Amino acid sequence: MSQADLALFLEAAVRLGIPLAFAALGETITERSGVINIGLEGSIIAGALGGALGALAFDGAGPGVMAGAVAGLTIALVFTLFAVGLGADQIITGTAVTIGSLGMTGAVYQARFGATGTELSLPTLAPLAIPGLSEIPVVGRALFAQAPTAYAAYVIAPVAWYVLFRTSWGLELRATGEAPTAAEAAGVRVRLVRAGATLFGGAMAGVAGAHLALAHAGTFAENMSAGKGFIAIAVVVLGRWNPILVFFAAMFFGAASALQFVLQALGFDVAYQLFLAFPYVLTLAALAGWVGRSRAPAALALPWEPRR
Amino acid sequence: MRRPLVELRGVQRRFGQVQALVSADLGLFPGEVHGVLGANGAGKSTLFNVLGGLLAPDEGSVTVDGVPAQMRGPRDAWALGIGLVHQHFTLVPALSVRENLALGARGRSLDEIDQAVRATMDRTGLRVPLDDAVASIGVGDRQRTEILKTLLREPRVLVLDEPTAVLTPEEVSGLFGLLRALADEGRAVALVAHKLDEVLAVSDRLTVLREGRSVLHVLRDEVSERGLVTAMVGDGVAERILPGTPVDPSARIEVEAETGRADARVVGTLCAVCGERLRNVTLEVRGGEVLGVAGVEGNGQHELALVLSGRRRPVEGQVSVPAEVGYIPQDRRTEGLVGTFDIAENVALGLGRLPRLGSGWLMSWQALRDEAEGIRTRFEVAAPSTRTFVSALSGGNQQRVIIGRELALGAPMLVAENPTRGLDVAAAAYVHGELERLASEGVAIVLISTDLDEVLGLSGRVVVLSRGHLTPVPAPECSREGIGAMMLAGGGESA
Amino acid sequence: MSGSVAPARAREAALLGAGAVVLTLGTGALLLLLGGYDPAAAGSAMVRGSVGSWNTFVSITLVRSVPLLLSGLAVAFAFRAGVWNIGAEGQLYAGAVAGVWVALTFSGLPRPVLLAAMLAASCLAGASWALVPTLMRLRLGIGEVITTILMNFVGIYMAAWMVHGPLQEERGVFPQTDRIVEAARLPTLIPGSRLHIGFALGLVIAAALAFIMSRTRFGFHVRAVGAAPDAAAVAGRIDTRRVLMITFLASGAIAGLAGAVEVSGLTYALYENLSDGWGYTAIAVALLAGLRPGGVVITAIFFGALRAGAGAMQRDAGIPAAWVDVIEALVILAVLGLERMRASRVASLSGGEGP
Repeated sequence: MSQADLALFLEAAVRLGIPLAFAALGETITERSGVINIGLEGSIIAGALGGALGALAFDGAGPGVMAGAVAGLTIALVFTLFAVGLGADQIITGTAVTIGSLGMTGAVYQARFGATGTELSLPTLAPLAIPGLSEIPVVGRALFAQAPTAYAAYVIAPVAWYVLFRTSWGLELRATGEAPTAAEAAGVRVRLVRAGATLFGGAMAGVAGAHLALAHAGTFAENMSAGKGFIAIAVVVLGRWNPILVFFAAMFFGAASALQFVLQALGFDVAYQLFLAFPYVLTLAALAGWVGRSRAPAALALPWEPRR
Repeated sequence: MRRPLVELRGVQRRFGQVQALVSADLGLFPGEVHGVLGANGAGKSTLFNVLGGLLAPDEGSVTVDGVPAQMRGPRDAWALGIGLVHQHFTLVPALSVRENLALGARGRSLDEIDQAVRATMDRTGLRVPLDDAVASIGVGDRQRTEILKTLLREPRVLVLDEPTAVLTPEEVSGLFGLLRALADEGRAVALVAHKLDEVLAVSDRLTVLREGRSVLHVLRDEVSERGLVTAMVGDGVAERILPGTPVDPSARIEVEAETGRADARVVGTLCAVCGERLRNVTLEVRGGEVLGVAGVEGNGQHELALVLSGRRRPVEGQVSVPAEVGYIPQDRRTEGLVGTFDIAENVALGLGRLPRLGSGWLMSWQALRDEAEGIRTRFEVAAPSTRTFVSALSGGNQQRVIIGRELALGAPMLVAENPTRGLDVAAAAYVHGELERLASEGVAIVLISTDLDEVLGLSGRVVVLSRGHLTPVPAPECSREGIGAMMLAGGGESA
Repeated sequence: MSGSVAPARAREAALLGAGAVVLTLGTGALLLLLGGYDPAAAGSAMVRGSVGSWNTFVSITLVRSVPLLLSGLAVAFAFRAGVWNIGAEGQLYAGAVAGVWVALTFSGLPRPVLLAAMLAASCLAGASWALVPTLMRLRLGIGEVITTILMNFVGIYMAAWMVHGPLQEERGVFPQTDRIVEAARLPTLIPGSRLHIGFALGLVIAAALAFIMSRTRFGFHVRAVGAAPDAAAVAGRIDTRRVLMITFLASGAIAGLAGAVEVSGLTYALYENLSDGWGYTAIAVALLAGLRPGGVVITAIFFGALRAGAGAMQRDAGIPAAWVDVIEALVILAVLGLERMRASRVASLSGGEGP
């Protein structure tokens, strides 16, 4: 494989990994507060549709991304009301939110653009090359000639790490996820922190969806999230709930998805569907392989009631 | 008369249908150590939470410095200078001691907190391992961390909830010295507890709670131990139980030797058991005897109970116990009963395999329901029928269901783990009576308890469990101090 | 714990289910209004399309409810044990593929033998699709929610690959298998309609599960493990791992059956997108029924009616059929919400554990 091919592969790896990174970084914060949001997939697809509609309405990709974030946050709000507010089972609530969001986005899309799904053409989020850095051989274009959302992800990962481990906010967040009763006794408003963390995760997933629609595919299609929300949750486990590691794990998965292009270019003739299945199989294998080496926040997925 | 720093008047609080506090009064004065006494179920924890702003009273007033106080959360209490030290530590196990101390100290930088921590440690002589994760430090260190956390806020009022429950006797005197020093600094220190002798040793003033009411307010010198006991449990019961009063165990052992149970069968043997928390345990249990396992919480008691009762296999070593062993777990609500099942179904859980109640792949519900009804009547479980959900029963009644079920097994051995925890005085006495009756009928009983008085009061033979090691207690050392020393020596907590 | 999603008494479960339906239909009507649609027109279209005539009811609604019934039973059984089997979709596809393969390969066998072989193969395939998540939970402690969802995607793509490749029809034109022979097709249940004996099979399995749960030792163990795994292990001395494994695999098997039954009874061939998200609808079916087999029969028919009516709703009232997914989600949320309200009411009455 030539250097040019390698560069293309890396570029695709990063491009495919960015949406995962956004969703996974958001979910990392959410899970650190003790909440597992299976509805992440619902936030991503909502973000994709929101991004598409926003970009069309305001005739620009930037507003589209904002709209995507809002859409993702709104879906997460429904989840938060039930799982954090009412204390309903987080797993089932998340599953319901995902089913509902997939259905609603499908219905809205069909209603607006017809059931046959004529291709939308959206204002796209074009790659923005950073002068100088993007000239670096092999990795330059991969890392520094991506859509602006990628650069945001590069910044968000270390910032999230810093906030989580070096500030008192982060300390309170972690305490909420490990021992909510102890946190409450220390004066932390547990439900508020959890709600905030979950909404943040939803917004990030919304950006991931918007990125999918505007930077990656250039259009919207029903169910285009294709399980990325679930893979993101696995990525959080693999990254041991540490934002920096989670970012790299997401990139790894991007690389795995990009592999199909490499293999096709190399002439391997394997059925297209098996390629599609590969990321999911890889996720299962990775989960199985990483077991025992990381520890989830102790109060993750457990419902919690304030004492009063 | 001096005005109290904190005053509670006529405080009432209910939870659903349970009136936890009927009318409670309390006055805490600066410079004093105030003991709040009460048996389990008297309302002490509720009072504690009201003092600290975690619960709001339904009726009555809370006054600080003469000004009525409306506390809607712990932060309000701190603002008023009230600091709580909880019984079940409110520490985050995964975080380090330093991080736990910093939690909730909002507004101060981590450096400021560090400085304050060192200053307080120097002033009070408290030492804690700052960089270790809380999960890895011992119970005494955790409590010191909990106290330090509260002291960092410079409280004028310090209230501690059952602080001695998890300490060895030596650590208890260390704690009391600290409380005395803090009171001498001008703070109002209060101790909420049920262990009479300990509270008497350190308090200047006493309040007694019984059934949600404060029934006695008195200075230490003005009252006798008997008077306190009567106030705590009422006249009739006082004879049978003297909570907190040490029972002289040597008398017990003598009695056993006289009746000479040399013919007792060896019912269970446990040799060289190793596990995550149990190391190298060798034990023998005999029919008709109560073997007491003393020790501070967190030293492998639960693992020992599970292995002895056959619920779990040891990682290494051999266990030889009868096929059927009754087990009264310490966590009755998560390990003893299924809350969403009714009484009959819970009875079926333990007895379902008995041949007389139907074996095979079909359940004999009629026979099981009849058995449950029998248990309900014989053990006086306060429930309308066997179709009552177990989650609706009180702690004492839940324990009756468990005891009735385990006893109905007719097993030659019974393991009881903290069987009277959280029970009121009458229920606890009932449980003790049942255990004694069983022993007299030849059943081998292993009593694992963190309550030293319970162990000493019931056991014929005592062993101490410390850091997963079991050490038998030779008769002459069978006193509280002796056992306390062994609890320390067996593994040793950090000083 | 299953205790968090299903009331302990059957009567309460029924009331809760009914309440959830009312709440959902109300919210759904509101959402339709907000979307600019006419809820009344939608409602009447739905009713017409699902129960408008006897023929509609039998040949459309009941037929559509069969896969929901089987996968709903699978999900309910798993949930009852505390196993969150979200993977019915993938298990269903695995069963469909296995069933079709048997039908195509052994097409010469006599009807009863062929049918039995097909259904057995589908059970095996469904169970094996659940095997990986089961092992990952029991051996490695990895939660089954994510693993079963991932297996769904693998199952869908595996089935797609099969109909594009190894099992594709002779002609090689469309991504579908050849039609299976007459002997591999389930007989009709009600003559003159499209309803096949798969429906009866579902009823039989529901009855069997109900019997198991209420009268057998194993069923009792399942309920105990689902409600309180620690108490089951300690007080009941139940081998929780064995119970979980059997339940998980059995759930997969029944879901696999759903796939093969659909092929054998209705479509007579396998193609891409055989399932319209039945594995996920099954969750709503199971929860609305309070995880009770008898209730699942009713709720499966209800959701079958919803889906049957959705088609009419799209044709006549112009409302995209995807709204049914939203209704399903609302049902789940309504059940959860009402269950939480009921639980907090119970807790405040019993007072919790005193000080």
